Amino acid sequence: MLKFKKEPIKNGKLWIVFGVLFLLSVPWYLPEGSYKPLFLGIPYWGWIIILVSVAFSATITYAIKYLWITEEEDSNYKEDEQ
Amino acid sequence: MTGDLAFGGWSGVLIIVVYGLIMLSIGLITFFKNKNIRESNQEYYLGGRGLGVMVLFFTFYATQYSGNTIIGYAPQGYRIGFEWLQSITFMILVMVGYLLFAPRLYVLSRKYNFVTPSDWLAKRFRSKGITILGSFLMLYGLGNYLLEQLVAVGQGVSGLTGGTVPYQICVIFFIVIMLIYSWLGGMRSVAYTDTMQGIALLFGVFILVIGSILYFGGLPSTADYMATFTPEKLGVPATNGLVGWFSMLALVLIGASIYPHAIQRIFSAKNEKTLKNSLIGMAWMPFLTTGVILLVGIIGVSAFPNLNEMESEQLVGMMANAIASENVFFYWAMILLFGGIIAAIISTADSVLLTFSSVISKDLYGRYINPKATEHKQIFVGKVAGIVATGILLIIAWYPPATLYQIFVLKFELLVQIAPAFILGLYWKQLHTKSVFVGMVAGTILATTMTFANFTPFGIFSGLWGLFVNLIICVVGSLLFTISRSEEEAIDKVIGL
Repeated sequence: MLKFKKEPIKNGKLWIVFGVLFLLSVPWYLPEGSYKPLFLGIPYWGWIIILVSVAFSATITYAIKYLWITEEEDSNYKEDEQ
Repeated sequence: MTGDLAFGGWSGVLIIVVYGLIMLSIGLITFFKNKNIRESNQEYYLGGRGLGVMVLFFTFYATQYSGNTIIGYAPQGYRIGFEWLQSITFMILVMVGYLLFAPRLYVLSRKYNFVTPSDWLAKRFRSKGITILGSFLMLYGLGNYLLEQLVAVGQGVSGLTGGTVPYQICVIFFIVIMLIYSWLGGMRSVAYTDTMQGIALLFGVFILVIGSILYFGGLPSTADYMATFTPEKLGVPATNGLVGWFSMLALVLIGASIYPHAIQRIFSAKNEKTLKNSLIGMAWMPFLTTGVILLVGIIGVSAFPNLNEMESEQLVGMMANAIASENVFFYWAMILLFGGIIAAIISTADSVLLTFSSVISKDLYGRYINPKATEHKQIFVGKVAGIVATGILLIIAWYPPATLYQIFVLKFELLVQIAPAFILGLYWKQLHTKSVFVGMVAGTILATTMTFANFTPFGIFSGLWGLFVNLIICVVGSLLFTISRSEEEAIDKVIGL
């Protein structure tokens, strides 16, 4: 069966990063109603949100790749219990 | 709601028939390739736990994104403007939600051969109350989710065929095909057709946005228009918009990943690597799906100004009509788009139906009603129950009752009440079984009552209030009451990894 070497939920730093990104992903910290400058028709704050979202996806990718590591004790998965 | 598409008609009927036949062939091929498929729950409901990266990815994709993602999200972008960028973030947060439980649940599902989400509840709590209540919440939520898809497919089909043939005939045609391929191939058929349907959906979304940019002008001209006429859709949202935004994100983070049909896909992965790679892919799909659909909605602001809420619901249909009239290429592309939308609705419906059947087969019939039944019999009962449920829901979809309609609205509000038991149970040995049960009951009652009363204090969704109370009861109860030593040892054996 599989044993955990690293489990994402147990990585405190990961959840701090997620927490910060969560807070940044809603534009409460920007002046209400502002939209200039625009780039390619998207207001500046939209780009900030998109950037934060990209950082979210990148962090998830990192967490799945490097913070979710199991070790197989038995190469044959099928354990017929039940 | 798509409205009647001027370009639809017989070409629409043709595309429906073609899509239907492709799905049916996929079902038949799966059936002939896997003869023993209906002898074991694991084979039928989880595709023998053998889904590879691409199929697993697309079945996750087609389950998370429905036809409604296009038809409903573009109008929302139209109405609130760039604030709807939140649709990208919340689809990403669903993946963060998975990180809370998927790694551990996957390992446990291999160790104990889980087929349904209730299998996990049964193993962890060994409480009839929790397993049965959990199963009923899932069945109820899934049933209404299926109903929503059946309503949507009717609207999609009537828009596409424009009354050339009665839309009921097309809906029945699609549903019969869905039932046949699900009956024949179970999860394998559903996942393979999901792959086809997911590709159709992605293709449709991209053609729609390209067509919109070509014929209605790109974003910069729309932004100029918005700056002059609707600056509120362009600027940073006001406070109440921000509260709604946060509340939406919080709800999705905890709730959306816990959809029973999504959980079964975790169980179906061939191995951990396929699961991980599929989830990584899913983490980036919001940009290509909800992000692109947002653009369509935004372009609509200048293309079709001043639509009221009801009219804006028809936005995708209006844009498709205008784009289709430009040339032959876009005409067929729009036909394919609407076929893709209908396929995407069906692909969500089939996943929901399969999970519905599995809960009946294994959790209610196999576990409590007739524990001696063979797996073949369990599967048979689940399938028949699924067909009966689809029939009843179809009648409700076509002849909606004038009163009590609200009982058909509850979905997410109920499903989310399973989350504390499901997620906390994975990690917290002291979690007190009776408190979990009481929390689930209290959360369900509160969320239901608040939904009926249409009461959402601070603009926070009723399901979230129910979940909040549910969670407090779970946590406080577990801190107050200790569990016995023998119980703790038994639990340690299950979740001590």
